[in-house]
Amino acid sequence: MVMTRGRGRGMRGGMMRPMGPGPHFGPKMKQFVPRLPFDMVLCESAFPRVKPAPDESAFTQALLKRNADLSPTPAEQAAVLNLVTKIQAVMDNLIVDPGNFDACVSSQIEEVRQVGSYKKGTMMTGHNVADIVVILKTLPTKEAVEALGKKVCDDLRSQEPQEVLVLTMLPNDRGFEISNSEATVRVLVTTIHQNLRKLDPELHLDQKILQSHLAAIRHSRWFEENAHHSTIKVLIRLLRDLRGRFEGFEPLSPWMLDLLAHYAILNNPSRQALPINSAFRRCLQLLAAGLFLPGSAGISDPCEGGNIRVHTAMTLEQQDLVCLTAQTLLRVLSHGGYKQILGLEGNSSIASEMSVWDGVVVSALEKAYEKPPERPPQDDDTDNMDADDDPMETTDN
Amino acid sequence: YTFEFHTATALPVYMQQTSQPAATVAAVKTTGNTWQTFKKPGTMQGKTQKPKAPPKPQQLHYCDVCKISCAGPQTYREHLEGQKHKKKEAAAKAGPTPSRHGASLRCELCDVTCTGADAYAAHIRGAKHQKVVKLHQKLGKPIPSTDPVVVGGTTKTSTTTAGATVGAKTTTSGAAATTGTLTAADGKKDDLKDDLLDLKEKDVEPVGQEYIEEIKNEEGKVISFNCKLCECRFNDPNAKEMHMKGRRHRLQYKKKVNPELVVEVKPSLRQRKVQEEKLRRQQLREEMWRRREEERLLEEEERWYWEERRRYEEECEYLDWCRRYPRGPPGPPPMMPPGMPRPPFMPGMPPMMPMRRPDSSDDRHVLAKHAEIYPKEEELGAIQKIVSNTEKALKMVSDYLAEVDAPKEQQVKPKAKKEKEDDSKGEDDKKDGEKKEDGPPRMLKGVMRVGILAKGLLLRGDTNVQLVVLCGDKPTRTLLDRVADNLPKQLAVVAMEDKYDIQRVVEEAALVVQNIGEQRISVNVTLTSPIMREQLLHDGDSQVIAAKDPPDVLDKQKCLDALAALRHAKWFQARANGLQSCVMVIRILRDLCQRVPTWGPLNSWAMELMCEKVIASAGQHLSPGDALRRVFEALASGLLLPGSPGLLDPCEKDPIDAASPLSAQEREDITASAQHALRLIAFRQIHKVLGMDPIPPPKFQRGGRFTRKRRRDNSTGEGNDSEGELDGGDGKKDKKEDGEDSKMDMDKETK
Repeated sequence: MVMTRGRGRGMRGGMMRPMGPGPHFGPKMKQFVPRLPFDMVLCESAFPRVKPAPDESAFTQALLKRNADLSPTPAEQAAVLNLVTKIQAVMDNLIVDPGNFDACVSSQIEEVRQVGSYKKGTMMTGHNVADIVVILKTLPTKEAVEALGKKVCDDLRSQEPQEVLVLTMLPNDRGFEISNSEATVRVLVTTIHQNLRKLDPELHLDQKILQSHLAAIRHSRWFEENAHHSTIKVLIRLLRDLRGRFEGFEPLSPWMLDLLAHYAILNNPSRQALPINSAFRRCLQLLAAGLFLPGSAGISDPCEGGNIRVHTAMTLEQQDLVCLTAQTLLRVLSHGGYKQILGLEGNSSIASEMSVWDGVVVSALEKAYEKPPERPPQDDDTDNMDADDDPMETTDN
Repeated sequence: YTFEFHTATALPVYMQQTSQPAATVAAVKTTGNTWQTFKKPGTMQGKTQKPKAPPKPQQLHYCDVCKISCAGPQTYREHLEGQKHKKKEAAAKAGPTPSRHGASLRCELCDVTCTGADAYAAHIRGAKHQKVVKLHQKLGKPIPSTDPVVVGGTTKTSTTTAGATVGAKTTTSGAAATTGTLTAADGKKDDLKDDLLDLKEKDVEPVGQEYIEEIKNEEGKVISFNCKLCECRFNDPNAKEMHMKGRRHRLQYKKKVNPELVVEVKPSLRQRKVQEEKLRRQQLREEMWRRREEERLLEEEERWYWEERRRYEEECEYLDWCRRYPRGPPGPPPMMPPGMPRPPFMPGMPPMMPMRRPDSSDDRHVLAKHAEIYPKEEELGAIQKIVSNTEKALKMVSDYLAEVDAPKEQQVKPKAKKEKEDDSKGEDDKKDGEKKEDGPPRMLKGVMRVGILAKGLLLRGDTNVQLVVLCGDKPTRTLLDRVADNLPKQLAVVAMEDKYDIQRVVEEAALVVQNIGEQRISVNVTLTSPIMREQLLHDGDSQVIAAKDPPDVLDKQKCLDALAALRHAKWFQARANGLQSCVMVIRILRDLCQRVPTWGPLNSWAMELMCEKVIASAGQHLSPGDALRRVFEALASGLLLPGSPGLLDPCEKDPIDAASPLSAQEREDITASAQHALRLIAFRQIHKVLGMDPIPPPKFQRGGRFTRKRRRDNSTGEGNDSEGELDGGDGKKDKKEDGEDSKMDMDKETK
C-alpha cells in the first residue's frame, strides 16, 4: 500500500530536493497549504436562507427515475453473478490445488478478489462487466497471463461444455476477459507487493498497471467500509452516467467519482447523508468551485499514503475541462435544466453551446488553461501546479 | 616449409612431441610420457618425427594449448597472438584451475569442464568434440576416454590413467581411418557412478518451458529454439532440455518469473565480489538516507521557523493596517495566540514596523493591484480636508439653526422625543440621536460619514463621498433650503482660503458640496431622519403619522436609503474591518465592478456582504490571494444563482436578499464570469482577472512596482544572504537578521 503512487512521488520529491531550497533558498519557504474551496454545505450557517428553499421534488423524482433506468435488471445481475461465481470457483481451485495448473503454466495464484462496480454495487445496466483481480505469487509475464486465461477458460469449458465462452486478452496484457452471451468477467492480473520491484518492463506487465490493480482492491475494500450507503451508490451511478454523456467529464476516473460522491453525501456538518438532490447539486457545485483545480485541497486519496490529492491524476488541461463543464452544467441546473442534465431530454450540447432557459441566456465557458510558455526554471512557486506530470490513475473499471 | 617460433611454450605440434607443455591439468601432464611410450611402437611411418607422418603435415597447425588446429601458418600465428590463446596459456601456466563447482565432469580431450552429466553427454556428441577427436586421430595423438573425469569436490584424478590406456588403445589403430573409436572405458565406469549420481540428483525439473519458442522453417519443421528468458538460441532439442535445467536459465527464471524458485548458490569469486559491492553500496545508501533524514528534520525546523515568522509578519501587517486607517475602529486585537513564542531573531523589533512577505503568486498580484488602486496620499488628504470642513460647517449650521429655532423647537420636540424613545428599541441609530439630545433640541442632530468614506473603500480617482445629516424630524424642502443657504457662510468661516460650491439636489434629498480647484471632489450631504424608518417599522401607526407629514417632506426612499447606508457603514466597521484580507478583497472587487461591465450591476452593499460572509466562513485566516479566490469560488458555485440561499441582509428587519436588484440574467452573467475568473486564478493568470500585467516571481526583483513596499520586502530576509547588505539603510535589525541567517546556513552546511 505504501509503494504505489506515493512512492513514485516520493522519489520525485527526493530528486527535486537537492536542487531545490539550498542555503540560499532558505527564506523562500513556500509552504503550499492547499485549501478546500468554498462549499455552501459546510458554511450553511453563514448563509441563512432569505426565502425558503424551492420545492425540488420533481428534480428528486427525476434523479430517482434516472437511477432506476441506469440500474441493471435482476436478469443482468444474475447473469453476472453466475459467471463471476463460476470463475471464482475455478480460480479457487487453482489456489487450493496448483499442481495441475503448474504443469502447464508456472504461475501461482496468491489471491483472487472481486473489485470494481460489480463489487461496489454500482453497476450500470447494459454494462454487465464484473472485475476480478488475480494476485499472482509469481512474476506476471505476458505468457503467464495468457496461459492463465487459457487455463481458466478450459476449466470452465470442461465444467460446462455446452456454454459458449469467449476469451479475449485485454490490451497491454493487463488481463483477460471471459464472456458468455450475457455477461463478461474481466480478470485483471497483478502480483504481490514484494514482486513489484523485480519487474522487467521487457518481460512483465507494466508496473503501473499492476499497481492500479492492487489499488483497485484497496478501493473496493475502502468502499465496503465507508461508502456502503445506498444514496452514495445511487449518486455514483448518476455521476457515471453524467461522465458518459458529457465529454468534459471524461477525465474523471471511476475512483474519483466514488470519492466525490462519498464526499458530497457524507462530508457535511451533521454527518448525516444528504438527500440525493442536494448531493447531486453539491457535486456540481464542488467541481464548479474548483475542488479539482490546482491549489485546491481536493479529496485526498484514502487508499494511498502521503496525502495524494486524487485530482492530480488529471492533467491541468483536464482539470480545467472538468471544472468548466461542471460550471456550465451548474448554471443550467439552477435555471431548471435538470432534465437535460440527466439525459431525460435534449442532448449534451448544453455543456458546450449557448442555451436559453426561461429567458436567461446560459453561455458555455472557455478554457482558462494555457500551456506555459518556455521559461527558465527559476519560477519558484510551482507548488500548486503539481499535476501535469502524473497522469497515472487507477482504472478499476 | 618453416615455422617461426613465436613463443617458447606454444610450439607447433611437431616440435613438441617430447615436451608437452604444462598445458592442462596436472594429471594430463603426468601422462605425457606414457603417451609417448605407447605411441612409439604404433607409429606407422616408423619415422622419427611425428609431424611428417600425417599425409598433409604442412597444412596442419595444431595448438596444443587450445587444442585446435589452424588452417595455415598465418592463421596459426594470428591465433597465437590472440587474446584467447594467451589467456589459455596463462591459465595453463598458473596450474590447474580450481573447480568452481562442487563437482563437475571434464572432457580431457578438449579440456572442457561440464557442470553435469547431461552437459557432458552433449559435449561428447557435439561437433566440437568430434572435430578434436578427428584431429587427434589425424595427428595420431592419443584419444582419452569419453568417460568424464570428475574433478573438484570429489578430488578424483585417477581416471586419467584410464583415459590414457584407452587412448593408447585407440590411437594404435591409426590416425587416418578410425571412425567410431570412442569406446568407453568400462572398467572405470563404476568409479564414476557415484559422482554422476551425485550430479544427477542435483538435476532438477526443467522450468519455464513456455518461454522457449520453437522456431520453425517454412515446412513447419522445428529447426531451432529460442529462450525468451535468457535470450539464447539452440538447435538441438537436447540442448533445449539441458538449457531448461541449467543454472543460468533457472536464475533468469527466478528473476523474471518465479522469485521463489530455488537455485543453488554458486559463490564464485566474481559473485562474492558482487555481493561485497552490493553490501557496500547498501551501507552507503543507508548512510545517505540517514543524512537525508537529518536534512529533512533540519528543513522542517526551518520551515516551522519561517512559518512562525510569516505569521508574525502578518500580525504586524495587521497592526500597520489599523494604523494607516485611523478612521476605522481599531477592530479586534490581532489574533496572536497568547502562547505563541516570539520569534527570537528580532527581539527589539518595534511591532509597528511595516513588513510583509507576500508568499504566493496570487498574493503578490493582489497586493500589487491593491497598491495600484489605493488612493494616493494627496487624494486622501484632499478628501479628508473637504469632508472635515463640511462636517465642521454643518455643525455650525446646526448650532445656528438651533439658535434661530429655539422657541419653536421647544413646542414640537418633547412629543417627538418621547415618541422616539418609546418606539425605537433595538434601532441602530438610536444612540446617535440620544447623544445629541443632551444639548438643546436641534433640527440637525448630527452628521455621519457613510459609504466608501466610512468603510475606507476609497479608490484612486474616487471624487464622490457621502455624508448623512440626521434630522430631528422628517427633513423637508424648507429645511434643505435653510441648510443650503447657511452652509456657504459657515464654510467660509471654517476654511477661509478654500472656495466651495454648493448645489441643492432636492430629488436626492441632498445638497452637494464641491470644492473649486483642479481636483473636483464632491461631498453629498443627504438629509434624513430615523423617524422615516420608525414609521416604516410600525405599520400600524404609519397611516396616522403619514397624515401628519409636512407637505414638502423630502423623498422618502432617498431618506431611507441614507439611513440604510448608515447601518451598512456600522455593520462594515463591526464585521468587515476586523476580518483579515476582507477589506482588501472588497476594494479589489470594487475596482472589478467599475472596470468590467458584467460586474457593474452588482451593487456594492451586496458585494461587501458577500465578501464578508464568504471570507469569514472559511474559518481560518486567508491571505489576500486566497481570500479573493474564495470569493470567486463562492460565486462560481452558484451563490448568486436562483435556488441559492441568497444574501440575507443583516441590516434589514425583514429577510431581504441584498442582491435582489440583480436580474436573473445579470446573476447568470456574473456567475459565468466568476467561474472563468476562478479558473484563470487556478491556472496562474490572476493578472487577467485583475486587469494588470503579470508580475514575475520576486526572486530578482527589488523595488520597482513595489516601491511602496520596498522596505517591507527587504526586511523580510528574502534572499538576504547575498543581497541584504545592499540595503544598509534599514539599520541594525536587518543586519542582525542577516547574521542570523548566514549563521543558520552555516550550521546547516557543517552538519
